[in-house]
Amino acid sequence: MQALIERQQTKKAPPLFKAVIQSTYKENFAFRSSMAVSLIVQPIYFLVNYFIWQAVFQVNDTVSGFTLKTMLYYFAVSSLLGFLNWDNADGSLQWLVQTGRFITYQLRPVHYLYYSFFQKVGHRILAFWVEILPIIGFYLLFKIYPIPVMPIWALVSVSLSFVLSFLINYIIGTIAFWLVKTDGLRRAIMVIKDVCSGIFLPLTLFPSIIQKFLFILPFQFISYVPARVFMGSYELAGIKLSIPQIVGLQALMVVVTFFLNRLVWHLGIKRFTGVGA
Amino acid sequence: MSRNLSLPSPEKQQAYRSTFLQWFKIYIHGMKTAFASRMAYRGDFFMSMFIMMVVELFGPLITLLIYHNGASFPGWERHEVLLLQGVFLLSRGIAFPFFMGMVWNTISRVQEGTYDLLLIKPRSILQMSIVTAFDSEDLGKLIGGILMFAYAMKSVPTPPFTNWVSFLLLFIFSLLSMFAFGLFMSGLGIVWIGNYRIYEIFMSVMDFGLYPRSIFNKLFQTIITWVIPISLLGSFPASALLGKEISGVLGAMLCAIGFLIFGLWFYHRMVRNYTSAGG
Repeated sequence: MQALIERQQTKKAPPLFKAVIQSTYKENFAFRSSMAVSLIVQPIYFLVNYFIWQAVFQVNDTVSGFTLKTMLYYFAVSSLLGFLNWDNADGSLQWLVQTGRFITYQLRPVHYLYYSFFQKVGHRILAFWVEILPIIGFYLLFKIYPIPVMPIWALVSVSLSFVLSFLINYIIGTIAFWLVKTDGLRRAIMVIKDVCSGIFLPLTLFPSIIQKFLFILPFQFISYVPARVFMGSYELAGIKLSIPQIVGLQALMVVVTFFLNRLVWHLGIKRFTGVGA
Repeated sequence: MSRNLSLPSPEKQQAYRSTFLQWFKIYIHGMKTAFASRMAYRGDFFMSMFIMMVVELFGPLITLLIYHNGASFPGWERHEVLLLQGVFLLSRGIAFPFFMGMVWNTISRVQEGTYDLLLIKPRSILQMSIVTAFDSEDLGKLIGGILMFAYAMKSVPTPPFTNWVSFLLLFIFSLLSMFAFGLFMSGLGIVWIGNYRIYEIFMSVMDFGLYPRSIFNKLFQTIITWVIPISLLGSFPASALLGKEISGVLGAMLCAIGFLIFGLWFYHRMVRNYTSAGG
């Protein structure tokens, strides 16, 4: 008995990231019915889009290089990426700063950036089987098989988009150090981000001058690029790149965004003041 | 500083209750309170309102991009689709700030346990849920709807008077359908505690109303006309204004009335099911 107690006492605590992932998973498991609402919402959105594009392609065979089949495939993949990449890092950080509770995170032996990231990992693991897998099943009913042409590159691209979307949301959340309540601004940036990332529509549908602008923004790497990597070809603003090239560019953007994140954080954290813990 | 309140006699109170004017006065008071509290973060308020307006224009953006790429919806010109979407957004722009806030209000109050505070007020729970839920930010949706409608109307030949009359009648039915949606969502919010995603379900269903009814197959056309009157949100009023031939409009109007009655019944039924935990 004594030996068992000693063994329990000396048992190493799980690594921090694992503990955060597990606790977030368990916490959100209690609200899985809320998450499962996507199983109603997403098929409805898909049906609306299905009818829109079916009507459009009755008149035209291709629209901006897309056929009905590839358009539905794009919509399916980008919606799955939307589920995979979703996080509330911006909202959580803003709320913590506004209420002053952020101070408790400053006292913890882990940087909030990593804590928040692993929260996202835990949350999305739950979403994978609650939201993503059933929705893939729904797409299969329409004979849409979200299988990438180059699986390894697609995996790399999806992983990078997962990190990049988190970093961008985190930067948006950091604005709270200056403005405290940022609901409106966050919503504004979110809308811009969603439209410019191609989550609703392929970016090649935009006028060419706007495409050039979208090419230099980081948002395309969240949804448009991984979706195009799934399809096996990339083109935007008349620029054609091979899959390794565009994934390399995506990796570079992740690095740039990470350093931008650190810079904004460094400037913002100086402005935070909190009392009590 | 103190203020003395002289309460009216019970008879007078009873008389007040029955007047629509009194209802209106209370509503205006609720609006003022909502504005005053939102003004605490003025910058955020104006930003939110602006974003609400921009977000509303996303549906028309898809239409513009489709037509920009040389594609189209069969039987519908670009400006006609924009008009349809303008009507839809106008309807939503009136509904969301003025009465749709009751959904969020109900969900949050049930979750926090403050719904009881509305139940003990000497007014109907539905009235109190609407009065205390004016959403000033959503006025951005109304502005967006007006702008879209006005922009689309510029490209349409001036409709005759009879078209305007038909349009206004159908537009009223559109608002009734929106109100019925609000009732269903609020009712669900009472039993499905803390689930703000109820909004998403109805918003996704409403998306069927943002496009011409003719693009959907027969089954869906029947559903959005005879089961859930979504066609009345945009397609029918816009078609009436454009003088397009429409079929099944009477059925949709009857469906809207039935939908509203069922919504009222559902809402009150859910209120009866509400089990308080506080006081």
